[in-house]
Amino acid sequence: MKRLIGIALAALVVAATPALALTELTFYYPIAVGGPLTKVVDNLVAGFEKEHPDVRVHAIYAGNYDDARIKALAALRAGQPAQMSVLFSIDLYELLEQDAIVAFDDIGADKTWLQSFYPALMANGTYKGKVYGIPFQRSTIVMYWNKDAFKEAGLDPEKAPATWDEMAKMAAKLVKKDAGGNLARWGVMVPSTGYAYWMFQAFARENGQDLMNRDGNQTNFANPEVISALQYWRDLGAKYKVMPEGTVEWGTLRQNFTEGKTAIMWHTTGNLTAVKESAKFPFGVAMLPASKQRGSPTGGGNWYIFKKSTPAERKAALAFIQWITSPERTAEWSIATGYVATRADAYETPKLKEYVTGFPQAAVARDQLKFATPELSTFQTGRVRKALDDAIQAALTGGKAPAEALKAAQQEAERLLKPYR
Amino acid sequence: MSEIVLEQVTKRYGRVTAVEGVSFRAERGSFVVLLGPSGCGKSTLLRLIAGLEEVSAGKIHIEGREVTALDPTERRLSMVFQSYALFPHLSVAENIVFGLKVRGLPAPERRERLARVAELVGLTERLEHKPQQLSGGQRQRVALARAIVSENPICLMDEPLSNLDAQLRHEMRVEIRALQRRLGMTVVYVTHDQVEAMSMADHVILLRAGRIEQQGTPAELYARPATTFAARFIGTPAMNLVRRATIEPDARDGFTLGIRPEDIRLLANGDGGLKARVTSAEYHGADTIVTARVGEESLVVRAPGEVKLAPGAEVRLGWERSATHLFDDLGRRK
Amino acid sequence: MRHVYGWLLLTPAAILLVAFTHYPAVATLAESFFSTGTAVRPSRFVGLGNYAALLGDPIFTQVLLNNFWFALGTIPTSIALAMLMAAWVNGALPGRALVRLAYFTPTVLPMIAVANLWLYFYTPQIGLLDKVTALFGAGSHNWLGNPDTVMGCLVAMTIWKEAGFFMIFYLAALQALPPELGEAARIEGASRWYFFRRVTFPLLMPTTLFVLVNATINSFKLVDHLFILTKGGPDNASNLLLYYIYQTAFSFFDTSYAATLTVVLLALLGAFALVQFQLIERRVHYR
Ligand SMILES: Nc1ncnc2c1ncn2[C@@H]1O[C@H](COP(=O)(O)OP(=O)(O)OP(=O)(O)O)[C@@H](O)[C@H]1O
Ligand SMILES: [Mg+2]
Repeated sequence: MKRLIGIALAALVVAATPALALTELTFYYPIAVGGPLTKVVDNLVAGFEKEHPDVRVHAIYAGNYDDARIKALAALRAGQPAQMSVLFSIDLYELLEQDAIVAFDDIGADKTWLQSFYPALMANGTYKGKVYGIPFQRSTIVMYWNKDAFKEAGLDPEKAPATWDEMAKMAAKLVKKDAGGNLARWGVMVPSTGYAYWMFQAFARENGQDLMNRDGNQTNFANPEVISALQYWRDLGAKYKVMPEGTVEWGTLRQNFTEGKTAIMWHTTGNLTAVKESAKFPFGVAMLPASKQRGSPTGGGNWYIFKKSTPAERKAALAFIQWITSPERTAEWSIATGYVATRADAYETPKLKEYVTGFPQAAVARDQLKFATPELSTFQTGRVRKALDDAIQAALTGGKAPAEALKAAQQEAERLLKPYR
Repeated sequence: MSEIVLEQVTKRYGRVTAVEGVSFRAERGSFVVLLGPSGCGKSTLLRLIAGLEEVSAGKIHIEGREVTALDPTERRLSMVFQSYALFPHLSVAENIVFGLKVRGLPAPERRERLARVAELVGLTERLEHKPQQLSGGQRQRVALARAIVSENPICLMDEPLSNLDAQLRHEMRVEIRALQRRLGMTVVYVTHDQVEAMSMADHVILLRAGRIEQQGTPAELYARPATTFAARFIGTPAMNLVRRATIEPDARDGFTLGIRPEDIRLLANGDGGLKARVTSAEYHGADTIVTARVGEESLVVRAPGEVKLAPGAEVRLGWERSATHLFDDLGRRK
Repeated sequence: MRHVYGWLLLTPAAILLVAFTHYPAVATLAESFFSTGTAVRPSRFVGLGNYAALLGDPIFTQVLLNNFWFALGTIPTSIALAMLMAAWVNGALPGRALVRLAYFTPTVLPMIAVANLWLYFYTPQIGLLDKVTALFGAGSHNWLGNPDTVMGCLVAMTIWKEAGFFMIFYLAALQALPPELGEAARIEGASRWYFFRRVTFPLLMPTTLFVLVNATINSFKLVDHLFILTKGGPDNASNLLLYYIYQTAFSFFDTSYAATLTVVLLALLGAFALVQFQLIERRVHYR
């Protein structure tokens, strides 16, 4: 008898399902920081499906940013369904050139929603006045400092350097040698492998310069202020001797800091939770120091909607993205990851308010957003970025003078971008 | 003076004792054969002499020097391996002079010695060949040439002929023996083939399970085997060993009587002798091997020429009394 | 009829080979004569344009040169080391199974894992290398961050990784050598070194040839560690041809130029294999 009821129920469910007109969505997403984030994403998706029984969402973890882009584009090319994805915010021009994405303005997203995010985070997703990327997992660079080291060097442990000059001077005091005269602790470290261009954007911005225009077809590498920014970075190692000469490895820097081998480091906010968990000393987080002004680039991933989708799918995708970037969800996501909450009203939610009170370091990235500049992104972005990376590394390792290196990079970028003007 | 002297040499591999308490002397210029069945320790003994293995106990002297703890190099001897151990990438000439080169002999002398030895073993035409372009017998000669070119007074050989066919083996036996005599080398030669031992040796050392069973000249071993083992091992067909009571009905001991097949004669009817029933007769050309039953036992007779006997035929067997060998119940000669 | 049957039997293998080896190779060659297309700018025929660009590309010149030094640094040393280790491990040594295992371990580790391991060797101050040199009073070195040392670091790591693998081939070859050869040489008075030089080494030549071809190919093929260790930096000081191809294809999205570089890589490898087999085979003794 029970079985009969079961079968009857199953038949009912089967019969009822098409009536709901189920929309299926698939998206790819990358993870670039530590922690069990796939689980967080799965929970978010489940929460959405509960509220929207007519939409089924498949979330596919796709490795790092490069992998995610390659996989998403390959899937599109192969005709596999993917209506949206979280991809690198700076993939915008590549995706435009592949004609792969649609503007949110063109599929019925209303202006007030688009304006609810921090403008600094919208820049990388906007092209010719239209929004193509909605900020999601976004970061900036902040300065971490070791309060014990400051105390030991006779500095105020609660006060981080606020200017370039201060940083160089304080770092000089923070350098520690052991009995044998060998270096035991550096004053400051700024990573220069992997994402050198990103760190350099901070220096340039602080010196009053952006490295590219908003249309992504012009770079500004050879500007004298940009050159002097690179000179300062190089001087930290070569002149002030407060940072190792040569390049500093992105991947191991966090450990250098938590093991007390450097008193100050510049790093992504995405590392905040990890540093909090492994540092055995009190540490502070501050905005990056200023030269002419404060400044830091943004980074991280945006939501994109793909052109290869039906109107119904676009509608569902838009609903999903609006849901997952709502203030509540944004607050949850920020706490779980350390990423910046992408909108001001998220910081007004009780959850995030409470979190920031207990851990004020979490608010620094937000406060710095008003000085933020979009991440370097142009047409031919891979090559342009590499030209800049190579120039920075050449200068830091002493292979070329900053001016010479940046002029060569600018020349290369000119050659690459001319066809896009 | 003895060239090689072994005193109570023992070799153990873990719990296996390969050689136990072996003592013997090999006189200068003599041809000594180590003979025994497979696994009796012949190779091990030879390798101990060569210095390729260390003794577990005992002493070895060569040319009056104690060499027990010395390296093979310092023992000044040559060795021919069963597998020849030729260097496959070197030509015949290079193989032969390998050791001379090692010792830094000047090139003219090397050439001269090579020519001499190649002539001696008949390889002059083949000097530029690689080993794999040679026949088995030729490879054997290369190995031999390499051993004698060094002009060491002692040469050890481990079953050097076992890979050759019967015809070639016979030729090489003669050649090796002739060479050894001509060069006055002391040779210790390992074989499990008693024909080889009998035909080549000045002195045979018969091994059994790592120990010396008997040693002496081939004639001594043939004429007065010390044990039933020695008796059966030497001579073809092997010596007949029967319970003494079968032949001499009034004997009450458990002794064994041995008679070599070639010492038994087939008697004409009425000449007395032992009655027997033929079970087979194999014609070998020069002689016929007749097997006949006496009571429970079987006797083999080697009769000269062709003897036509059908199975089941009755024959009478006779021998000289002096041709019998008597062994006690432990197999020792009485 | 028998022919048809034979061809039918061959078909599956032939299809696989064509689909996954020959077709991509030919397609790559074809693509190298076109410009990279996007949805906005379709691809067009440019003849040898990509190859001309190659000659004017300083990074290409540098990665080729880097690859040359990388090959020169890794191949002879890892082969010599492999041979030495094999000879040692082949002897009757107490605990030699353990030693063999220890040598072989680097080989079974994936290159990515190896790179992660060595990243922590080379990290300034907190890395093993700096900690060890600190014991002798030396200061900290920025091993991977210095263009002068970075290539040496990669070479050392690759040797560590490869030598154990090649050792296995040598070990197998050594075990196939009859032990009497060594005994014969000992009796003739040859020292171990003389024997190695005059007998073992020449007899190992077929293995050496095989290993040499593999090592050469590997020196062009192994770039996994670059993803972890240096990303080709600083300023391309550790960039290798294949990694540059990867960057061109997946970071620059310039598939045509990547195809052009790939054609160069294939041509280089083909030429090496040919030269090695042709030249050395004549001097190798095969049994
Ligand atoms: N390296 C070794 N380790 C352990 N046991 C060994 C070793 N070498 C030989 N033996 C043992 O010692 C005994 C004698 O071996 P040996 O090789 O001397 O025999 P052999 O008389 O030469 O036999 P064959 O006529 O078959 O060559 C055998 O039982 C053999 O198993
Ligand atoms: Mg043997």
